[in-house]
This record gives sequence, structure tokens and C-alpha cells, in this order.
Amino acid sequence: MSTLSNPLALIAEITHRCPLHCVYCSNPLEMIAAKSELATADWTRVFSQAASMGVLHVHLTGGEPLARNDLTELIKSAHRAGLYINLITSGIGLSRERLQALVDAGLDHIQLSFQDSAEEPANQIAGTKAHAHKIELAEWIREHRIAFTTNLVIHRQNMNHLAEMIAFLETLGPNRMEIASAQYYGWALKNRSSLMPTREQVENAIEVVADAEKKLKGKIRIDFVVPDYYARYPKACMGGWGQKSILIDPAGRALPCHAAGVIPGLAFDNVREHALDWVWRESAAFKKFRGESWMPEPCRSCDRRAEDFGGCRCQAFLLTGDAAATDPACSLAPQHFVIEAALRSTTPEVPAAAGATLNWEYRPNPK
Amino acid sequence: MAAPNDSDRPRLAAGCRWGGSAEARVLLVPEGAIRVQGPGEKILQLCDGSRTFAEVLAELEQAFSQGDPAKIRADAARFLEQLHDKRVVDY
Repeated sequence: MSTLSNPLALIAEITHRCPLHCVYCSNPLEMIAAKSELATADWTRVFSQAASMGVLHVHLTGGEPLARNDLTELIKSAHRAGLYINLITSGIGLSRERLQALVDAGLDHIQLSFQDSAEEPANQIAGTKAHAHKIELAEWIREHRIAFTTNLVIHRQNMNHLAEMIAFLETLGPNRMEIASAQYYGWALKNRSSLMPTREQVENAIEVVADAEKKLKGKIRIDFVVPDYYARYPKACMGGWGQKSILIDPAGRALPCHAAGVIPGLAFDNVREHALDWVWRESAAFKKFRGESWMPEPCRSCDRRAEDFGGCRCQAFLLTGDAAATDPACSLAPQHFVIEAALRSTTPEVPAAAGATLNWEYRPNPK
Repeated sequence: MAAPNDSDRPRLAAGCRWGGSAEARVLLVPEGAIRVQGPGEKILQLCDGSRTFAEVLAELEQAFSQGDPAKIRADAARFLEQLHDKRVVDY
């Protein structure tokens, strides 16, 4: 086996608390309560350990990172450690003054989430009123010399007006747009039948994005995440299990990705007890699917195994019950039929008729 | 978007900066890091927002005095245009 390289990114899920209740939230179904969250000093130690291991980026995410009162302090300590700081936020709770403080503390990049271009559907997805504030916030962000990304999650209910949403986001003046298809874990998996787009919607979205890329070239960079249910091959999830990134959850558990907690039998070590470097090298959860020795056929002899690593372990578990199966999103997977069945069983009407009540399950807030 | 004009003053875009270790300097950008070595690193060091593209070229011609000025111009322009499209360089 080749020598293990260091992680490049630290995903710091600093809290699961959030004022939004998005129906496709990437947080686990079992969320961590405020009283179990790591203290400021714990995060400071983790940031400095990460930087000395060669980690370049920290992604402050949640929940809503702004829900932590010590966010400015956390940014300061990550900046002191030499990390590039990304803040992934809904912007709720961010005043002009607080933004100034975060920038002064060393924030490099803010990624602001949008649910839609129009107020009503945006609030319907988020389960709260948030849209108007985000528009005002975008203006404040542009006053600073930090990178500004807008993030938009696309799905069955909003994909038909993607062109309109891109035009709206363009007016906010970001450097970068992330247009991400909902990924079916946790809350999104519960709501999959209302979120899954049709093939026609996906094909249309690909064209709309290609047109926007052409039009906005040199002005706004677009990163587009296509839905893997419609792809021929699976996504190269996390750049390989335990290869590029390490995620620390609000309570200090170290995971290879956002969803890894769903896989039964994995023991996650905690940064309260172990140094980050030890976790990266020694934690059994990280070793479990690192490299190729765990791979079943057809992955094991597949030419693409070094490109997509057999896809996503969490998706394999959630859809087949076996985390070591080939990701069923792969058209070569023995259990690809579960993806085909899921595509057949989605809500028939696209999108739901105006005023129709969708059978959403909103993500609640941890205690 | 086109290549820089002589009077443009290229510089790293907002949220793009140097980082990494002394031995392995990288350009840190949102969601990534770009390893820039050799002439590319030299070009970006000169792109500090104070020099015009013409001034950057003049300094490159001195630094690479064996090179053909027309090729230096073409290479530097293409390099900056690519980074501009990735929103790493502004001008």
C-alpha cells in the first residue's frame, strides 16, 4: 500500500444548531445537542494540529456556524494557525457589524446558501423566512475583499426555473456559483420522492448551466454538481475515503465524511482524546475503506477504481444495506436496480402544483 | 473574457492568496489549492495590482533574458487569462 498523504481539508461541523430546517439538510438524523459541543479551546487545538499536518483549508460549517457565539474567536485561531477559512452559512444572524468582525478575524471566503430565487418557495424549502435577509447580506459581503460564493441546491421542485435562479444570483455579484443537486443522505433521503428530479429536468439543467457558464465566463465561475442517480458512474466521493478530508462533528468525533455515522460498526475516535494526526493515521473508521483492499467486484478489477473509488460508502449502505458494496449509482453495480426503482417511484407531478402541500419532513433543531 | 491589456493591473482576486509551507507554496483559492511553480510563480508575484501588464512583461523579459519576448507575452497572457476565467486573477 502506498504511503498515506496528509489531509488537505478539515471540515469543522461546529454545531448542529440552525435557524433553517431545510428538507435536504446534510446533517445526520441524530443531531448533537448544544451541551455536547466542543469548546473554543478544543477547536483552537484542532486547527493548530491540522495546520501542522499540512491541512490547507478549514470549512466552518454546521448546522449554522453563526449559531456559535465564539465564531469570531474560532476564525481568529484558524487564521493564526495559517489555514484558509471558508464559512458555509445561511447568513441568518449575520449583521453588517458581525460580518466586519469575521473578516477582520481572517475570513477568506464566504459561501452563502440560497434555496430559490423567489421568496415564497425559498422559505418553503427552508421552513422559515430567510430569503430577504440573504439578499441584503450579499450586498454587505461585496464591500469586503473576500471570496463570495452563492450556493444553490437544485431538485425537482425548483429545477424548472433554474435559468431564472441563476439570473437572480448573478445580480448578487458573487465570484463563484455552486449549483448542487440535492444528495440523498439523511434528511434528503427521507424527502427523496419530492426532491428527485426527472431525467428531462436534469438534461435541461445541464444545458441551462452550460449556457450560463458561457455567458458568465471571466465574471462568475460556476461549479455544478450533477445528480449521481442519473450518472453512468458514481461520484468520487470525498476524493476517496480517508484520502483528502477529515470531518470533525460538533462533539469532536472524527469522520471521513458528513454521513459516515450511518454506517454500522464504525467506531469514531474523538479529538478530545486523540491528536488529529493520530486519528488520521490510526483511527479504524478511517482505515476501513481506505485504499482498494475492501473493494468487491466489479470495482476490484475496474479501470475506474482509482478515479471514483467505488463511489460512496454511505450511499452503498443506505441503499443496499452493505457499506462495502459497489455504490448502486454505478451502472455496473450489481444492485443498480435500486437506483432505477427509486427513479420510477418519485412523485409524479413536476413540480408540485402551486399551493399543493408537499409531504416534507423538515429538519428539526437539536436540543 | 480576453487576455489582459497592457494597461491592466492584474492581481490575485479576492479570497485568493499564497499559503502552504515554505517548501511547498501553493495558491489558496476557494475550495482548492493550485501549485504554481517556475515562471508561473514569478508572473503571479509580479501581479500585485500596482504593476501594469506591460510592466510585468518588462520584468519578465529581464528575468528570462534568453527568452523570446513575443513568446513571453503570449505565455503570460494565456496563463493570466486562464486564471482570470477561474476567478483567481482580476484585471
